[in-house]
Amino acid sequence: MLTYVVRRLLYGVLTFFGITIAIFLLVHSVPGDPILFYVGSHGASSLSHAVLDEIRHAHHLDQPILQQYAWWLRGVMTFDFGTSFIDHRPVTERIWERLPNTLILNVIAFLVAAAIGVPIGLWSAARSGRPIERASAVTFFVLYSLPSFWVALLLMQLFAVRLNVLPLFGMTSDEYLDLNGMMKMADRAKHLILPVITLAYAQLALFARFSKSALTEVIRQDYITTARAKGATNGAVLWRHGFRNALIPLITLLGITLPYLISGSVIVEQIFQWDGIGRLYFEAILTRDYPTVLGLSVATAVATLIASLLADLLYIAADPRIRLEGK
Amino acid sequence: MASGQVRLSADPLTTDHWPLTTYTGGVNRIRVAFAFSLLLLGACSKERPVQPLAPIADDTTPVDGGTVIRRLEGDVKTLNPLLSETRYDHYVESCLFTPLLQLDANLLPTTTGSLTDKYEISADGKEYTFHLNPKATFSDGSPVRASDVVFTLAKIVDPKSEAAQFAGMFELWDPVKTRADDAHNTIVVAFKDILAPQLTFFTLLRPIPQHVYSQGDFKTAYNMTAVGSGPFKLVRRVPGKEILLERRADFWGVKPHFQNVLFKVITDDNTAWQAVKRGDIDETMITSDVWMAESRRPELQKILDFRRFYTLNYNFIGWNEHDPILADKRVRRALASCVDLQSIITNLYHGTARAMNGPFTPDQWAYNPEVPVIQYDPAETKRVLNALGWMDTDGDGILDKNKKPFTLDMIIVGGNGPSGPFAQLFQSELKNIGVELKITTLDGSAFFERFMSGNFQSCFLSWDLDPDPDPRALFHSSQFPPNGQNTVFYKNPTADALIDQGRRELDHTKRIAIYRQLHAVLADDQPYTWTVQVSLKWAVSKRIRNVKESKGWGLYLWYPGELDWWIPLAQQKK
Repeated sequence: MLTYVVRRLLYGVLTFFGITIAIFLLVHSVPGDPILFYVGSHGASSLSHAVLDEIRHAHHLDQPILQQYAWWLRGVMTFDFGTSFIDHRPVTERIWERLPNTLILNVIAFLVAAAIGVPIGLWSAARSGRPIERASAVTFFVLYSLPSFWVALLLMQLFAVRLNVLPLFGMTSDEYLDLNGMMKMADRAKHLILPVITLAYAQLALFARFSKSALTEVIRQDYITTARAKGATNGAVLWRHGFRNALIPLITLLGITLPYLISGSVIVEQIFQWDGIGRLYFEAILTRDYPTVLGLSVATAVATLIASLLADLLYIAADPRIRLEGK
Repeated sequence: MASGQVRLSADPLTTDHWPLTTYTGGVNRIRVAFAFSLLLLGACSKERPVQPLAPIADDTTPVDGGTVIRRLEGDVKTLNPLLSETRYDHYVESCLFTPLLQLDANLLPTTTGSLTDKYEISADGKEYTFHLNPKATFSDGSPVRASDVVFTLAKIVDPKSEAAQFAGMFELWDPVKTRADDAHNTIVVAFKDILAPQLTFFTLLRPIPQHVYSQGDFKTAYNMTAVGSGPFKLVRRVPGKEILLERRADFWGVKPHFQNVLFKVITDDNTAWQAVKRGDIDETMITSDVWMAESRRPELQKILDFRRFYTLNYNFIGWNEHDPILADKRVRRALASCVDLQSIITNLYHGTARAMNGPFTPDQWAYNPEVPVIQYDPAETKRVLNALGWMDTDGDGILDKNKKPFTLDMIIVGGNGPSGPFAQLFQSELKNIGVELKITTLDGSAFFERFMSGNFQSCFLSWDLDPDPDPRALFHSSQFPPNGQNTVFYKNPTADALIDQGRRELDHTKRIAIYRQLHAVLADDQPYTWTVQVSLKWAVSKRIRNVKESKGWGLYLWYPGELDWWIPLAQQKK
């Protein structure tokens, strides 16, 4: 088992380097001179060529691409992603101050989606084929197909404008600083409701379908029939024997969804004016803020790697066959 | 070095076509014309009636107090007025810092509301003497001194500041001959040469206190603090979210009526529209779609004032004169006859646009009303092209000459703006007469790069202009890329001479005559085919009184502008 873990970690490190190369090359191949955006796209002819060259030199933009990559990689290893072209602040600082906001939003949405979606999926598997299950399957399919920005607009229109029961945008109200501790929590919670719903409804549908098909797959196995034959109750069959085996594909799903906890909320953050890294990413791309785009891409890549590593490690806990394989 | 004063009217971050770029004075800036309109797909059923405002006893006498809540379409980059770039930066800075001269409602420089009591210009036009208001103070109580003005100028032209937006405006500044007399509050600003637009550039010079801004790293230390001579002082800035300003009790000039200004950052246009309906903000630009669909609803008209006005902005087709086909002026004029302006105004903009006849907008003093708009006449286009040797000899529906077909490539900016529909309209008109137009849609910065280097055959975009009409950066033959923004490679010695003359003529009446002539020359040569001016639409909460528009600059960035607004007592919020 130890060899498995070590091998897995090495793969992770190799993949990381491969990702950095790919991201770096991709970002630099996009048309549009970053210097023009650095000087605000107006200084291009206002500042003398000497000054522009100096700026280029300071950001290593005049060196061959391999050296630029080396410079950047060196920084990445020390968590120094350079300074943003836009406001000259360190990229790490910009990411760090917004990352918690995204995490709060996405983690809560994820938990809501999982808490509702997985049980519904299991319930669907138990009642597979019946009309009520069919109806719920169609409902979830429809839910999953609705585009999130449209749903966001509808929710805003209904709850914030027409009924005026929830705030329209932002993470906190104008009066946030004047509220006491309890009220602050309540204010934050109110602002979370609409964005979380927007993020969760599609994930929910996904979890429901996924866990349903996972459990359905498991129920068809021979050992389930054996368990039933042995006289185990329906509940025990589903829970003790079925669910634990259905966990494995669910862990795969977890491994895939975890990175979205960082990167998946760009549209929602834009619409609800949420100060997260999704919005930061979007703006950085539009303004060709290379350091920020690279920094965020690396962060997402690392998150994905860690998530898939976690998923693989969880397999070990969930599936004894992997543990024994190592022996 | 070029000293142009235009910039593309689009910020990559903005959604509609008035992006947040702002008055750039004499500096080359280009941003691409984006116009995003978010479709409101919300529920269409009847809305619950919105509460009308409570009736006011007396709403004609201004009262003090209250908070005005404004929208920033994007967060400011900095609070340092010398480093500002976008229009949002200027919105905030015009409240915090008073400039040396102000722009009045006609966008002409004035001393009213500025730091200057009076000024004189020397006979040779190279020296400007400003007599500063001795009562003027910064928000920390220190007086505004002539040496602060010199400090500000020095910082602007210092390449280390990277004050890209302003450096070009003062490139003729002569620091050696400039004299500051602190004892008499007088400063003589000297320049190396005469420049007529220079006076207007002073409306962007916002002096900063030397004793504050000489400390620390100039480029990064002033993102969150500000010490200025304006009527407001900074209370707090939450990056990405809001900026709160409070009226200075010790303000030396005419105090604005309202007590606080809260700028909220809302990048999404639809969210901003919902917010202004709810009262979360007091004003926002609205998209054409919202204007068409919602502005006439009575329940909204009870709480919102819908304004529509023109700004210093126009749409145009750029014809690259290095292209052999387009080098001939007759071809350009013929193609211009294929643009159905009336149809565009009626169908694309629902009547909320007006035709352009040349390089200046009807609001500008340089505008020549006698220059005719090129009439829509596709038959004439065909006739002219035939006469020039373009015939459809191989019967494929496309004109050709010397076996080469008449194909044109036009680059436009992608997104939801009107560029796409316009290009398609033009394409179908051209197809009818036998010209094949290929449309290449690019994203903002890719477009920008190709445009700036002149790497296109034709292009469609829009410019935001500055109050001073000097178009040297765009049309002077010395301004071909990379020196300037004459990316259509237009060259006409007559135009060059008029442009040079206009820059040196300080007498306003004589200047008007020069630019009117230039207007006629450029309209005849068609380096651009100027299409329409699109009006901006704005929704302002009815609780704000005295909201006025300037002649070409909208609601803000002129004096008094928003500084004159007031809120009746009953509607004041803390």
